[in-house]
Amino acid sequence: MAGGYYKIKRGESLTFWERLYLPEIFRGLSVTTRHFIPNWISTIIAYITRTPEKRKIMTIYYPEELPEIPDSYRGKPVLVRAGNGATKCVACGLCEVACPPKCISIVGGNRSDGTRYPETYTLDGSRCIFCGLCEEACPVEAIVMSHRYQDLCEHDRSKMIYSKEDLLVPEKDLQSRLDFIRRRAYGKCNY
Amino acid sequence: MGPSHPATHGTVRFLLRLEGERIINMETEIGYLHRAFEKHCENGKWTQAFPYTDRLNYNSAMQNNVAFALGVEKLFGVVDKLPERCRYIRVIVCELSRLCDHYTNLGAAALELGALTAFLYFVEARELTWDLMESICGARLTSNYIRIGGVTADLPENFKEHVKEVFDRNREFYDDFDKLLTHNRIFLDRMREVGTISAEDAIAFGFTGPCLRAAGVEYDVRKANPYLVYDELDFDVPVGFTGDNFDIYLIRMEEVKQSIRIIEQALEKIPEGPVNIDDPNIRQHSKERIHDDMESMIFHFKNQIEGIQVPKGESYFPTEGSNGEVGFYLVSDGGGKPYKCRVRPPCIPLTQAMGFRVKGLFLADIIPTFDMINLIGGECDR
Amino acid sequence: MDITLIPGYQYMPELVEMMLKIVFIFTMNVGVFAPLLGYVERKQSALMQDRIGANRAAILGFTIFGLWHTMTDAIKLIAKEDFIPEGADKPLHFLAPFVAVVPALIAFAVIPFGGTYYLWGHEAHLIIADLDVGILFIFAVAGIGTYGAVIAAWASNNNWSLLGGVRTAAQMVSYEVAMGLTIVGVLMVYESLKLTEIALIQEDFFMWGIFLQPVGFLLFLACALAENKRVPFDIPEAESELIAGYFTEYSGLKFAMFWMAEFVEIVTISAILTVLFFGAWHIPFVTHDGLLSLLTSVVGADIGNLLLMFIHLAVFWGKVCFLIVFLMLIRWSLPRFRYDQIMKLGWKIILPLALVNILATGVILLVVK
Repeated sequence: MAGGYYKIKRGESLTFWERLYLPEIFRGLSVTTRHFIPNWISTIIAYITRTPEKRKIMTIYYPEELPEIPDSYRGKPVLVRAGNGATKCVACGLCEVACPPKCISIVGGNRSDGTRYPETYTLDGSRCIFCGLCEEACPVEAIVMSHRYQDLCEHDRSKMIYSKEDLLVPEKDLQSRLDFIRRRAYGKCNY
Repeated sequence: MGPSHPATHGTVRFLLRLEGERIINMETEIGYLHRAFEKHCENGKWTQAFPYTDRLNYNSAMQNNVAFALGVEKLFGVVDKLPERCRYIRVIVCELSRLCDHYTNLGAAALELGALTAFLYFVEARELTWDLMESICGARLTSNYIRIGGVTADLPENFKEHVKEVFDRNREFYDDFDKLLTHNRIFLDRMREVGTISAEDAIAFGFTGPCLRAAGVEYDVRKANPYLVYDELDFDVPVGFTGDNFDIYLIRMEEVKQSIRIIEQALEKIPEGPVNIDDPNIRQHSKERIHDDMESMIFHFKNQIEGIQVPKGESYFPTEGSNGEVGFYLVSDGGGKPYKCRVRPPCIPLTQAMGFRVKGLFLADIIPTFDMINLIGGECDR
Repeated sequence: MDITLIPGYQYMPELVEMMLKIVFIFTMNVGVFAPLLGYVERKQSALMQDRIGANRAAILGFTIFGLWHTMTDAIKLIAKEDFIPEGADKPLHFLAPFVAVVPALIAFAVIPFGGTYYLWGHEAHLIIADLDVGILFIFAVAGIGTYGAVIAAWASNNNWSLLGGVRTAAQMVSYEVAMGLTIVGVLMVYESLKLTEIALIQEDFFMWGIFLQPVGFLLFLACALAENKRVPFDIPEAESELIAGYFTEYSGLKFAMFWMAEFVEIVTISAILTVLFFGAWHIPFVTHDGLLSLLTSVVGADIGNLLLMFIHLAVFWGKVCFLIVFLMLIRWSLPRFRYDQIMKLGWKIILPLALVNILATGVILLVVK
């Protein structure tokens, strides 16, 4: 164990320099000016040359520009549509019990070949807290958190109850998230 | 004053008795943000409490996650058996959230005193730090990252480079902020000698964290009672003199530096290896193993449906949050749900002392005092 | 009909000139600067803080850096409900914004924004009312503006407003004293209270007020900011303490009037600073006559005079704009004082310093002469 406690640097009273008001005020002004001038010039240049990405400003001009989303991002939970067009879900109900706000409800059924599938799969988007516990619980990687974060709001809560058809997303659209899960999360790094 | 007043962010109400601008008496009313967090936790399984702990101190959600996880692990008796990498990751995320918290707090204090520009510089720094958090756990605020016996995901690739990039920019913002405020007479006049509290009073009120250290008490859970890998890392803890707002301000500024130092060290030292504990009763096996291995799958189903079976007993694990000591007092009856889950938020003692600290001062002095204690409604009112 | 038969014919050019000047100043202040400053304030603060700022409003896809927001702001404020709180003193509540905005506009009457030009046999003075006691008039009128805030605070029937009003009254009264004294040094140097004369002396670059009275300039700047109630002296409306101070209970057009009063005051302060300390409409190292003879030799006397007038107008308003940007920079960089600290600063620091400045100026003037 290294390091310990130390006293902060604090004068008993104000130094003469601090008492003068002005030097420090001008130092503050110089800081803000240093931000103001380059931002100003770069904004004007970017506006004229129509290259918004060259601005020195941090703000993202949403929705024209979209933020970069890391692989680990947890957006709207969706069901994976496998290659044969059907869901991978086997209606085991683990996501149902794992969900803290209890927003998932499943009615399972059997296909003609005996495999189980969800007859209905309802996810109440107005209750979902995007925690990702369903994804963690799912034993077959059928429900994953997509990178979708837009158009999730409605004026009417009844429109936010997603059925199975609303939730199905082709597997290739979710590849980056699926890769991430297999590579980093709940997967390789466990025992 | 309040509950909806620009200064009382986090909905708190002050009942003020004024004589002109001077405060004769002040009472604090809390509870406007009460949403039965503890009852929520007791009605869900142990794992399901994590998303709710995110919403306590939303600035440093990870620290609450860690505190809760450590509390449960103490019940299991596996705190010492956590894999090395997991501990390092936990320290890194804890310190990242401490950074976010201090950035927000210092920035907000500047904002309330009228220096909006300084606030936005720290907001930028915080945004960058939150980008780091997002790349780790998938969300900026509602992290839900730590699990009992491990973490959900390993650190992302190129994390070290990303951190270096972010910290380089953060240091610039730190310097700008420092130049704008630390020696500015106007700011000093507002902060110095306001809200002074003696060490005895601070202890009597139950202060922890930066506010206690500002009063001159050398107490930091990371040093006094090291957990995770804090005893292997080299860092210092700043201590103040008088407990006034300027001391708290300086301590938070110093802690920003120290946190950056801790994270850089931890990233140097972090070993490769597993991040979860090898016990399917505590932490589920990997997805592949669940898929391929019958036994793992049975464990997984059992743990998910019945909840993790935590041994009977009670535990309290103190951790150093960014505002002070955060800990969960947990009682287990041996079942899948917490029998009792009580959080010790650092804000309540600090809020409680507000009236004591500002009595006899001016109305305007409430603003910096209240800012520097960093009341988070979600944590205080639960 | 012979135009000369109209009674008072000989005053016609003066009348037209006067009307033109009033219209010009009024448009400049209310039509251009008030909405534009709202825009500049937003945009400049945004750029200082690494943000983009207002840029959404567009007509046919053209945003021109968000300039349309000046219009949308106006439309929004006009369309808003005019809310009068319960228990408010209605007549006073109605009156207050006018009391605040009118003095701010009137003060501009005595500020010269250009010199004297001979246009087609007519002598034009670019000042609305060339009073002998111009500066005193400004102080007197600015004092009335205080009533607007105090009346608004009293009429709103709101604790925060009242606190804001009390603070306003105390702050304005104390800083008016200091402001009057800071300016005395300038008056001693130029030996005149007449703003046009002060401006004329500053034709010589080294006679600019900022070189002759640097201390006076800083003190006056501080007092002017305090009179204007802006950060760091914005305690009457400190939003984190008093919500919005004396205009907490105002909305719609009445709110817009307080807003406008503040912006017009900024313009006025910048204009006063320009006239007193920054050589008014003069270009450094270029004399009035020199430039005039140059222009006359190129385009003739009348056009030359006209051109010179426009050049001087541009210089004057350019200086004003620069000062406005500077004031905005101060406003967005600094934290605010506390009530008692402002009083201490006003009475214990600025006032004695102003007196010392007067003394020092007097001694130096005596020695020099």
